[in-house]
Amino acid sequence: MADGDRLWEVFARRKRADHFEHIGCVEAPNPDLGRVYAWQTYDEAKWFEMIVAPRDAFHPVNRAEQPFTLHPSAEALT
Amino acid sequence: MARFTDDELMRKVQEGFIVESEADMTETYKKALITQLTVQGDTELMSAPAYYMATKDAPSTNTMVSATAIIQDEMGHANIAYRLLEDLGVDRDELLYERPPQKFKNPYGFDQPLVNWAELVTANGLYDRAGITLLGDVHRHTSYGPLKRGLVKVGMEENFHLRHGEVWMRRLCEAGGEARDMVQAAVDWMFPMGVEWFGMPDEKKHHNAQLDFKLKGMTNDQLRQTWLKAVVPLCDELSIEVPAHVNPDTEAVELEFEFPVQYDPDAKHWLLDEPITWDQVWDRWRARGPMNEQFVEWMRVSRYSVEGLLEA
Repeated sequence: MADGDRLWEVFARRKRADHFEHIGCVEAPNPDLGRVYAWQTYDEAKWFEMIVAPRDAFHPVNRAEQPFTLHPSAEALT
Repeated sequence: MARFTDDELMRKVQEGFIVESEADMTETYKKALITQLTVQGDTELMSAPAYYMATKDAPSTNTMVSATAIIQDEMGHANIAYRLLEDLGVDRDELLYERPPQKFKNPYGFDQPLVNWAELVTANGLYDRAGITLLGDVHRHTSYGPLKRGLVKVGMEENFHLRHGEVWMRRLCEAGGEARDMVQAAVDWMFPMGVEWFGMPDEKKHHNAQLDFKLKGMTNDQLRQTWLKAVVPLCDELSIEVPAHVNPDTEAVELEFEFPVQYDPDAKHWLLDEPITWDQVWDRWRARGPMNEQFVEWMRVSRYSVEGLLEA
């Protein structure tokens, strides 16, 4: 990952009432570029809605493992 | 990383266990997975400059858009593989920007120049078919959960590339004359390239960690046969000649040359009557094809120029 980049997890749903699905991730230095990269990269469907969130904003609840919880503060409930 | 022994993990994945994180892996599993993902990422990435080279020959704005959309897809697929590698502790910047070009693990076919529209669409028809064959098998069988999920997008898009290739191969063949001859010329060198794409025959490859750990499901020969069974009937239908035929009794495709054989990259010509050993194939692959350094350079050059501007 380039200096200053963060990892952005990408979630999307195809149509109204669908559940959000985790469809991948991109690396970007800020949310604006994260949104652009996600929209351009994951263009395999006509998404009804797509959102991105930084991986380090995810807090593990029961497992301190991948895919979302690689940041050092990850600590699972035991 | 010691939850299981290799033997325990092999047994578990064969029974359907899905690996979700490094904590589930053994060192051997992780090493095999890293190799597989590096081949996958490098192949997707290096298809981009190869396709880009021929996209400049697109016959209209619409076809240019389709061809560049395919390139964009391939870069996206490379991103998926490299991202998964980063989560396994691999340094992506080092992989992409510091590795000697000779160390890229893409197949020999993507070290070759694609010089016209017929070659581009034949590459879509034959090489993207190889991609679907290989990655479709991984998608169905892999024991690594994050890769299984990542391949959903890849499968959808590769099917579009294949359709693009086959539709255009048919269109050029139906036009006849020089258009058809160009497809034949492209198939002449790309078909044996595709046969070689699937690697050493099973009889030469006794131990395979990717199969043991269920990182893939089919052997090299099974995958090669799957590809042949799609490509040979297509060529037959288009009246494009290939040195292979379907055996009507077994329904298997049989090659009409003693595989593997010598290749002359400068002439883009296979010497089908000059069989070689697999050691010689490996030597040719390791020596790399004519575009290897150039393609890596194309991928790198803009980074250095733009990075410089950002830091100024």
